[in-house]
Amino acid sequence: MIHKKGAQLYVTFYTSADAMALERACRAAGLPGRLLPVPRSITSDCGVAWATEPCQRAALTVLLEQAHLEAAGIFETEE
Amino acid sequence: MKEFFKRNRLILTTGFVIGVIALALGALGNPGNMGFCVACFLRDIAGSLGLHGSANVQYFRPEIVGILLGSTLAALAFREFKGRGGSSPVLRFILGAFVMIGALMFLGCPLRMIIRLGSGDLNALLGLAGFFAGILAGAAFLKKGFNLKRAYTISCVEGAAFPVAMLVLFILSVSGIFGVFLSSEEGPGSLHAFWVVSLVAGLVVGFLCQRSRMCMAGGLRDVVLFRDCSLISGFIVLFLTVLVGSLILKGGAFSFAFSGQPVAHTDGLWNFLGMALVGWASILLGGCPLRQLVLAGEGNSDSAIAVLGMIAGAAFCHNWGLASSADGPTANGKVAVVAGFVVVALISIICTFAKKKGEN
Repeated sequence: MIHKKGAQLYVTFYTSADAMALERACRAAGLPGRLLPVPRSITSDCGVAWATEPCQRAALTVLLEQAHLEAAGIFETEE
Repeated sequence: MKEFFKRNRLILTTGFVIGVIALALGALGNPGNMGFCVACFLRDIAGSLGLHGSANVQYFRPEIVGILLGSTLAALAFREFKGRGGSSPVLRFILGAFVMIGALMFLGCPLRMIIRLGSGDLNALLGLAGFFAGILAGAAFLKKGFNLKRAYTISCVEGAAFPVAMLVLFILSVSGIFGVFLSSEEGPGSLHAFWVVSLVAGLVVGFLCQRSRMCMAGGLRDVVLFRDCSLISGFIVLFLTVLVGSLILKGGAFSFAFSGQPVAHTDGLWNFLGMALVGWASILLGGCPLRQLVLAGEGNSDSAIAVLGMIAGAAFCHNWGLASSADGPTANGKVAVVAGFVVVALISIICTFAKKKGEN
């Protein structure tokens, strides 16, 4: 799903631990996506991002709040 | 495959350029198989500042200042310079010190490990295996939730303080105004290219590494955790470049061998363990020594603290007889590496599991 060409949504974090925590929360909630290195086009940092389809933005926003996770940013990019 | 090269052309170019520069610096006077080594060069700077008394390894290496400033220039040019800090600075200092203790057990940082391998030094294979083992250990804790807590925005003055301070010290060392900087008359510290060449080489490497995020620890982390080979591809190109360059420069004298390698020893177990410590601590820090320098250049004071920890670690290594030599590791060095594993394991466990009980 993430490898196909097209728009991608990336959620970036201040710590890798928060990215891992979102992965667990998404798995539990059945939301699609995967962890990836943050694309260079987004930041010079070399952290971890959650990548998914743009249509998941609303569900992710709710999940972030429920899980008390602080995202550094949510970015949409063209693959 | 074509898409891979297109997507990763910057990191691949960076690997190639670092390889060429490492070969050039070696040919122009740097110690054998040491065109670049962040650990060795920070150790030399510590000696130049009088922080340790090993007369053979004292020189204010311009390459380090170049990498810092190259990164700063790239970050400024692309509007990515930002002051950040406050993420467990004391723990980062300690981890930085143990990265240096592990590196000086092996005699090189991950960057020099690849340069040594490309130059035919098979001892670096043991180092690479150890480094990978350390990455696996660190990655296991990352997956479990290891956390040094987030960094916050700080002033640009704070972010720029470290690169500027290093620049000022470098200018003083080159000018010789106060005559307080030490410089080796023999040994590895006395072997160096002309300082302008070294500085420009560092600037180019720092600039490219900031743009590409070149990092050996990050590269292996991405392979282990995400099956992503983008970052590590730069080091594969670096290895191939040094290998081909060494074959050309050395001709028939080139051979893969364990013994007779410059600034290296043949104790496989401690080469492995030294780099395992480097790999584990680097993953916890979020990057290898080269990456810490580059991040410090773009305003990250946490990375600057880690680099200061490495400088302090180098001073401990030479004042307490922890650093290896061509004769092999020292007894004190072995104790220090074992102590390093204990400390890094404790930091890993506490910062992974204490958090879940609300104690971290």
